[in-house]
Amino acid sequence: MHINYWKELKKSTFGKIGLAMLILVVIIASSSPLLARYDPGEPSHSALKPPSIEHWLGTNDVGQDIWSRLVYGARNSLLVALGVGLFTTLLGTVAGASAALVGGLYERIMMRMVDALIAIPAFIVIILVAAYVLPNVWTLIFLISILTWQGGARIVRAQTLSLKERMHVYAARAFGANKLYITTRHIIPELGPILFAVFIHSATRGVFMEAGLAFLGIADISTVSWGLMMHYALKFYYLEVWKWWLLPTGLALSVTIMAFVFIGHALETAMDPRLREMEREDWQC
Amino acid sequence: MKTAKIGNYVIAFLIILSLNFLLPRMMPGDPITAICGEEVLVEMTPELRTELMHRFALDEPLWKQFFVYLTSIVHGDFGYSYYYNAPVLEVILEALPWTLLLLGSSLILSTLLSIIMGIESGWRRGRNSDKSLLTATMVINGFPNFFIGIILLLLFGVYLGFLPLQGAKTPYSGLSGLNLLLDIARHLVLPLTALTLAQIPSSYLLMRNTMITTLKEPFVLTAKAKGLSDASVRYKHAGRNAILPIVTTTGVRVGIIVTGTLFIEMIFSYPGVGLLIYNSLFMRDYPILQGAFFIVTVFVIVANFIVDSLYTKIDPRIGIDGIEHAH
Repeated sequence: MHINYWKELKKSTFGKIGLAMLILVVIIASSSPLLARYDPGEPSHSALKPPSIEHWLGTNDVGQDIWSRLVYGARNSLLVALGVGLFTTLLGTVAGASAALVGGLYERIMMRMVDALIAIPAFIVIILVAAYVLPNVWTLIFLISILTWQGGARIVRAQTLSLKERMHVYAARAFGANKLYITTRHIIPELGPILFAVFIHSATRGVFMEAGLAFLGIADISTVSWGLMMHYALKFYYLEVWKWWLLPTGLALSVTIMAFVFIGHALETAMDPRLREMEREDWQC
Repeated sequence: MKTAKIGNYVIAFLIILSLNFLLPRMMPGDPITAICGEEVLVEMTPELRTELMHRFALDEPLWKQFFVYLTSIVHGDFGYSYYYNAPVLEVILEALPWTLLLLGSSLILSTLLSIIMGIESGWRRGRNSDKSLLTATMVINGFPNFFIGIILLLLFGVYLGFLPLQGAKTPYSGLSGLNLLLDIARHLVLPLTALTLAQIPSSYLLMRNTMITTLKEPFVLTAKAKGLSDASVRYKHAGRNAILPIVTTTGVRVGIIVTGTLFIEMIFSYPGVGLLIYNSLFMRDYPILQGAFFIVTVFVIVANFIVDSLYTKIDPRIGIDGIEHAH
């Protein structure tokens, strides 16, 4: 049975809302030079100003325009989402699929590593590493991915094992197809939907972790990151500035994470046959 | 429990141990600062320097350093914090009870609430009460835990002033007995609410999904046909059988709550291990960071281990092989 996941995604209410929110964030990120009215990193003499015609969301403690930073912050979050999503999915796929296809001792070692890594809280490890080397965006993407690929690997392995036993793969093998052919022509294309779900899941985690680390102050000061903005804004929470500094930034971050969470939920529902049938009943009545 | 499973935890433990050992020693620059924290420079004399070099065997090959490191860990010696001017273990043990209180109560509360919510929601699947609960939790799921904490802080700090925003108890109040307990409880409300709210959505969704699947099983129909009351079918029959995934994911959830505690303690200045980690990050107090890192990660690994060995007892259907996590 073939399922058109794109159609399923658009059919689900959560999927639709999630996609709409993601498209909104992507538009803001790609047109941030047009939307921003100041250089987001440029300090000025007017600090902690309330919203005005010149500064739509006021200015922060060093006089940077908050609206411009908010708009440019979308770029940072999406970059991390894309980077962590792609890299984690790649690592998980290579580890999981190769374990399932090669088998034997290699598979045992690989899955043992996966099981061991799952018990280690990645976030705390990154904090320890960051105490010694302050990561920039790229090292952060690398760190998050290298510590969180194990969940994806487990899913990909399970799926590959089941694909390997399908009738048409047996047929291909009977016609003399070698392992490479079966892997590239049958296994990898059919892993597609699962990989997309792993990607969305990793992207969600990436956005959350980057923002969280920056919120703790673990980020290069020059990056325009929503988490870092909240880190500084929290120090002034007792002043009225939270209304245009802390709250909009937190909401922007939440909308981005929510977009990924909704899409992920819709995908998960579409892929689980028992849930799929239910959800449809759920939302039709 | 199979030896293979115990092996996993041993490997995880070894990874933590070597990370903790290698990181400060691989950094460019002075290893003494990387091991003892930057505060040590204030008191640095040539004598102290030679003493510390000798103590960590820094002039010896790496394997000897590792041996020295292991010996001190076994003896419960996690080093000395020059910032707090106290042994690391002492500083951490002082903060640990607060974290355990916050983490433990949040784990229990969020588990109970999500089980009840999941059972009720799954039972009423498709009805308005289920739909609104599902939508509400999905929206909360999109809010990062630290933003939930911030919203509560703003809400109670700016508009509703009747709950304490910071700390774990009123300082120098001289309270004792029941009043002290009440004071501690009042300080716990906001951090606990924030942490629990952030925790509920994923467990609730899991419980709801399992509940819906379980309700389709024949034994539920049998129970209904026997004329049992709705509540009995819902909780004693379906609910009890649907609870397993929640139990098996407890270990993973502890790992997530630990991270959440870090943020929540920072926002509400709750004096636990999370706040300790946050502060030492800025003081460059490496001994505390490493000690806290070690204790927290080992705590998570042990929690996973305990859950793993316990759930076979809860559900006898799981053989000694364990179950594959169905994701």
